[in-house]
Amino acid sequence: MSGAPTVWLVARREIEERLRSRTIRIMTALSAVLVVAVIVVPSIVHTPAKPTPVGLVGASTQTLAPALQRAASAAGVKLRLVDVSSAAAARADVRAKTLDVALVVGGDRATAQVRQDLDSTLRAVLQAVVSEAHLRSALATSGLSPSAVGRALTPTPLAVVALNPAPPDQTAHSLAAVIAGLLLYMSIAMYGNAVAQGVAQEKTSRTAEVLLAIVRPSRLLAGKVLGIGLVGFVQIGVTVGAGLVANALVQRAEIPSTAWVLLPMVLLWFLLGFALYAFACAAAGALVARQEEIGFVTMPILMILVISFLLMYVAIATPSASWLTVVSFVPPMAPVLMPVRIALVHVPIWQVALSAALTLAAGMLVAASAARIYSFALVRGGARLSWGEALRLSRS
Amino acid sequence: MSAAADGAPTLRVAGLRHRFGERPAVDGVEFAVAGGEIVGLVGRNGAGKTTTMRAVMGILQPQEGEITWRGHAVGFADRLRFGYMPEERGLYPQMKVLPQLVYFARLCGLDRTTAERNAGELLGRLDLAARAQDQAIALSHGNQQRVQLAVAMVHDPDLFVLDEPFAGLDPSVVDDLSKILRAEADRGRAILFSSHQLDLVERLCDRTVVLEHGRVLAAGTLDELRARLPRRLRVKVDAPPGWERGLAGVHAEDDDGDGVLLDLDAGADAQDVLAAARAAGPVEQFGYERGHLVDVYRELVRR
Repeated sequence: MSGAPTVWLVARREIEERLRSRTIRIMTALSAVLVVAVIVVPSIVHTPAKPTPVGLVGASTQTLAPALQRAASAAGVKLRLVDVSSAAAARADVRAKTLDVALVVGGDRATAQVRQDLDSTLRAVLQAVVSEAHLRSALATSGLSPSAVGRALTPTPLAVVALNPAPPDQTAHSLAAVIAGLLLYMSIAMYGNAVAQGVAQEKTSRTAEVLLAIVRPSRLLAGKVLGIGLVGFVQIGVTVGAGLVANALVQRAEIPSTAWVLLPMVLLWFLLGFALYAFACAAAGALVARQEEIGFVTMPILMILVISFLLMYVAIATPSASWLTVVSFVPPMAPVLMPVRIALVHVPIWQVALSAALTLAAGMLVAASAARIYSFALVRGGARLSWGEALRLSRS
Repeated sequence: MSAAADGAPTLRVAGLRHRFGERPAVDGVEFAVAGGEIVGLVGRNGAGKTTTMRAVMGILQPQEGEITWRGHAVGFADRLRFGYMPEERGLYPQMKVLPQLVYFARLCGLDRTTAERNAGELLGRLDLAARAQDQAIALSHGNQQRVQLAVAMVHDPDLFVLDEPFAGLDPSVVDDLSKILRAEADRGRAILFSSHQLDLVERLCDRTVVLEHGRVLAAGTLDELRARLPRRLRVKVDAPPGWERGLAGVHAEDDDGDGVLLDLDAGADAQDVLAAARAAGPVEQFGYERGHLVDVYRELVRR
């Protein structure tokens, strides 16, 4: 039987077997919910402040409207100005809470009627505008030309120079990095382990014995990795898809700009990382004599993944550190740390491409020697092989 | 048995040698299995039966030797037409029986329709139709064994290589499976199987290959093998034991209460034995004992 159909037959059996597992469905749902929550929740929490309704009573007060809006926006306060015809109506509105402030300016007097007290910022804004209006009319009465009044009242701009500026808010980026790192670490470990389990099961149940008489080991290995990888790809794909939809629906969120790039990157790096780790895990699974020994043989492999995940926390504290740039190119760490870097800082596209190419090349090298170990160890009886023995024996 | 490389469905194993470390597992094994024939491979544990079968199935690359099918070296495509039942059973424990059979059939190159039809028919023949949708692990030992045989048969192979197919089965299952194998041989299939159960091999096999320490001790039909046994007489005489002492070329083997068993050397004459018996007392029974495979095996291994 030719190669492609055999590989696909093997892959399809793997897919059917994985889809029977409830764990995978639960994991998919959980990771999708997590990603959607991270995108949606901040936008609910950070609802924009409502403008304060201010009633302007009488025509003379209403002429202050443009000056009030200017002063308010300069002070970072939002106002909704409402023209009110009489002071009595304004008072009623304040009591009824349709207005927060009723402003009456006439002659030398200015009154701001409120229910209890006036926010100090708003008070300063109102005071400044009222004072300016008073000054303007006083200067005009004393005979200055309107243009001279305008010049006199033009404020001198105050430039603010920060000598020790506070860093920009990194919370959103850190959160995105944690989610991306967690998702990749967990899914690569989970599906890599599934490959090791599957291989060990075929070895210990001696199904491998029947299979290898009719299927070439390279095709059996390729089919297994392809099948389990596809299930993982769909799981991450569902999560990423849910994230992108949530991102599109939530117009104003904290992560969006990052999410459009990061989510597809998670999918890409899952594929690269899975390919790299899955072949090594397959070789590991072929070494065991009993199913319970899988932990021993996969530990050295998955340890690298765990270390990458732990380094993520250091990366979040020092996102621009040069060590992070370096490890994001190291194949076994890149699948977790490159997306983490992308979440944290701007990464040039050539760096992403180079790191991906390196990971892919490493994956192919690992696959070649894993296939050798796999095909000789799979039908070998006796005790568990160590990695050293396996490498030595697979070469001879 | 034709000796030519004529394309007939014959498996030939010649000069097969393989050692694990210092220990030779097979050391010049040689035999053939022709279409329509059931050949039994017997021998104690470690005699080389499993190594031989794994070499035929390509799971083990022998260090020396030639394995041919229809006159050419066995290749991958040939093995898709072989049906293999390994010594330690290999089923996917969580997979249902019918899909499992269909999967293996398809790996051997059958299309879906044929695979499903074959699997369905086979489950009927093996009395497993009701278990088609059960997980393999949920079946009894005997039924798992049947499923394993079904895996070996589902693609309608030309050659069966069955390692201990009857180990641990109750007699009725053994009878069922034996009938199925005989039927396959009658359809022209070549069947090689190994067993410890010599009575079963005697009953089922057309020819037997006896392995010991990786070598072929003897091979042939039961009659050919029996010819290797000394002539054996069973004589029952109403006389005190020891009447046969002094007869030249006659060795008493055993007295099982139903007479004494006497092995005759090539030069000894049975009539001399009869005369001596009659001289000792009234002869109640006198005749040649028909040898069984187990006797042949004991005799061969003893040397």
